[in-house]
Amino acid sequence: MKTLFKQTKYITILSLLLVTFLAFTAKPNTYKCMVQMINYNGEGAYVVISLINPEGTYEKTLYVQGDDDEWYHDIAEWWRFYGKTKTDIDAITGATIGGGERAINVIEIEPDKINTGYSLRFETAVEDKEYFIKDVEFPLTTQNIKLKHEGKGYIRYIRMMPQN
Amino acid sequence: MTISIWRLSHLILAISSSLFIILAALTGTILAFEPISNKLEPFAVKNASALSLSSTIENLKNEYDEIINIEIDKNNFITASVVTKQGQSDSFYLNPFTAKKIGNTIEKAPIFRFTTNLHRSLFLKSTGRAIVGIVSFVLFLMAITGIILIAKRQGSLKDFFSKTIKEDFNQYYHVLLGKYTLIPIIIVTLTGVFLSLERFSFLPESKTPHIKQQQTSISTPNTESFNIFNTLTLGDIKGVEFPFSDDIEDYFIIKLHDKELYVNQYNGQIVSEKLDNFKALATHWSLVLHTGQGSILWSILLLLTSISILFFVYSGFSMALTRKNNTIKIKNTFNKNSAEYIILVGSETGSTFKFAKLLFNALLALGKSVYISELNQYTTYKKATNLLVLTSTYGEGNAPDNAKYFEKLIQDTPQENTLQYAVVGFGSLAYKGFCKYAILVDGLLQQHKKCTPSLTLHKINNKSFTEFKNWADTWAKSKNLALQVNQPKNEPKQKITPFKVVTRINLNSDYSFLLEIQPLKKIAFKSGDLLSITPKNETVARQYSIGKTGKTILLSIKKHEFGVCSNYLNNLKLNDMLSANIEQNTAFHFPKSAKEVIMISNGTGIAPFLGMITDENLKHSKNYLFWGGRTNASYKMYSKYIDDAFYNKKLSGVYLSFSQGESQKKYVQNALMEKEDLVSKVLKNNGIVMICGSVAMQNGVLKTLEHISRDKLNTPLNMKLIKTDCY
Repeated sequence: MKTLFKQTKYITILSLLLVTFLAFTAKPNTYKCMVQMINYNGEGAYVVISLINPEGTYEKTLYVQGDDDEWYHDIAEWWRFYGKTKTDIDAITGATIGGGERAINVIEIEPDKINTGYSLRFETAVEDKEYFIKDVEFPLTTQNIKLKHEGKGYIRYIRMMPQN
Repeated sequence: MTISIWRLSHLILAISSSLFIILAALTGTILAFEPISNKLEPFAVKNASALSLSSTIENLKNEYDEIINIEIDKNNFITASVVTKQGQSDSFYLNPFTAKKIGNTIEKAPIFRFTTNLHRSLFLKSTGRAIVGIVSFVLFLMAITGIILIAKRQGSLKDFFSKTIKEDFNQYYHVLLGKYTLIPIIIVTLTGVFLSLERFSFLPESKTPHIKQQQTSISTPNTESFNIFNTLTLGDIKGVEFPFSDDIEDYFIIKLHDKELYVNQYNGQIVSEKLDNFKALATHWSLVLHTGQGSILWSILLLLTSISILFFVYSGFSMALTRKNNTIKIKNTFNKNSAEYIILVGSETGSTFKFAKLLFNALLALGKSVYISELNQYTTYKKATNLLVLTSTYGEGNAPDNAKYFEKLIQDTPQENTLQYAVVGFGSLAYKGFCKYAILVDGLLQQHKKCTPSLTLHKINNKSFTEFKNWADTWAKSKNLALQVNQPKNEPKQKITPFKVVTRINLNSDYSFLLEIQPLKKIAFKSGDLLSITPKNETVARQYSIGKTGKTILLSIKKHEFGVCSNYLNNLKLNDMLSANIEQNTAFHFPKSAKEVIMISNGTGIAPFLGMITDENLKHSKNYLFWGGRTNASYKMYSKYIDDAFYNKKLSGVYLSFSQGESQKKYVQNALMEKEDLVSKVLKNNGIVMICGSVAMQNGVLKTLEHISRDKLNTPLNMKLIKTDCY
């Protein structure tokens, strides 16, 4: 009986250690993210999802809806960040989203960016139309990340769902 | 020179948009390859369209952690967006039976991306899109004005698709291609306009709401048993979006070809449905028709259409330029009331003006007072004594554009002096209404009290200068004028080829002789082409119809006592050299597809036929030769060729007639009448009748043929079956 208890204790400690280890390696969590557009006429919208650090500047590009890089400079604010480095974003680009349409993507956010002052920004631009720097922007908190966020520009709302 | 309103609009539209049209057609040609190359990718899975949606979903659920959506494109490639069991998101082409990835989604190739941009917005964003939209509309208008022009040309809309008559390369193919690409062009331009409009939100937004469906409270545990998923197959749907979360408010969104369904993820009931509105359908079809996606056949058609548009620009402008060059500025030194000679011109394309100008200059050179004008400008002429009308015919017997009001004007305009008139008609025997308008004008003048004819109506086929000169000489003779009509110098540059005389057969009793000459350079020619020879110290070239015998040219020449050229040729000996140039005369080439051919000639007009019947490739038709000469002796010279052809079965019948014959006088026309059964049979079976020789003979023969046709076949002679080369 004692040995059994001991065994259980070791296993518990081991698993606890494992869990803490896993937790501290900050494995990125994936989130499903839905962008629902308003009904507007015109070209498909470019939507850039960026991680903004506590200082309010760009930290990382998480997703780009719109794969024609000729028009990237139209998303002026983001271009100032991205244009300098031009990191490889091939894996995280998709097609533009037209009026009334919606798009669902999977984005990755490291857990240490949650509840630590970082925010998530959705920036939108449509050819020859208005450009919205902060169509949607909200602080990354455990609570926020499960909510629905209304947009100010071409985005009607966005919804996020943590992947298990 | 007036120009019809339709032709003018057609031209103005072309000028205003040609650069953009060229750009759009070039890029369109390139873009046509995109749907073709996509369609050729191996991602379409066989029988996938018959697979039910429920099986597809089940297969996917077994293979992946989560499915975000599936989409089926025009090529029947199925794209799936999923999260794999390893937690990676991925999107790829799917085999729905195995739920396995079969390939990465095709990225638009940079060349197509670049070209698409250029094609739809010229890299000018909205401005460019507007320009392209407008140009597309302009092209549509050109198609419409084009229809009207073709209809006028063909006589009526009913004859729109009947045979086009070939006069000029650019013109012929502009019209021919125009007829066949008309419908694709209208489709491409209208869809192009629609796609542009759609981008500018000019189109009214018709909002179709999602209509809530009545719910029954059945609860089904798993998606596989949903009724709707079992009935729908992949062929029915364009895409499925899976519920975003477990929330009951998150639905399956199923896009069908004509509507969108929201399906409850727990019980499989249709929560609401939305029919695609007109705009969505129109956009969809415009896109499909304009880009050709999903259909190789339609893409190829679009490709051909783009290439034809490029050809239209080229041929259209070269026609406009030719017409401009044909337009001759009339500089009258005498006015209408001081001139003795009045020349009135009826011309649609301007080429008749060329002839009028020659006559005008020739009369001026004689010191005569001449006034030249258009038929539409007909008025009173105070000092005039002579009226010369040169007119073409438009379509099937209509007045050319600048002669439309003449018929009314001549009734309403009083004339003080009596005018001696002569009418010259210009046209092509290939048209049913050959010189029909000239005949009308001649009739109008005949009825006019103040007009008396000085010569009968003269008809000129295919703008022949020689014929025109003959007429001018006859007319001048009747007026006792030493008129000298000179051939215009700006004729196309002629390529002079040296020839060597290889055979000659001396003068026969008819003063005719045969020459065989061999080109010393390699040139292409066919029987029926024309050889132009300009004798020394002469400016006017003489033309001879040639026969091709092997590699040599056969000429049959009649020596005229004072003929400069015929005497020059007659003095040539074996191995002598001469320079001449060959003019193609496709109108008198041997028909490629006719089953029966009747060749009619008199005198030296036999030359092209002698070439044709010795042609080795001549196998496909039964051929009959009618020839008229003075005596049996004059025939001897040709008999070798004809006997050979007969022996080689290239001739099925030879019918000779001699005008100075032993027993009775007989002309070709008589021979034709004797063989009227044969002639009518050939006409009935759409065989071809070729006529070469003197104009007098041609007129007689045409009359006879008309008679036979009416008598035996009860229809007027079909001029499309007649080829002539007469002088």
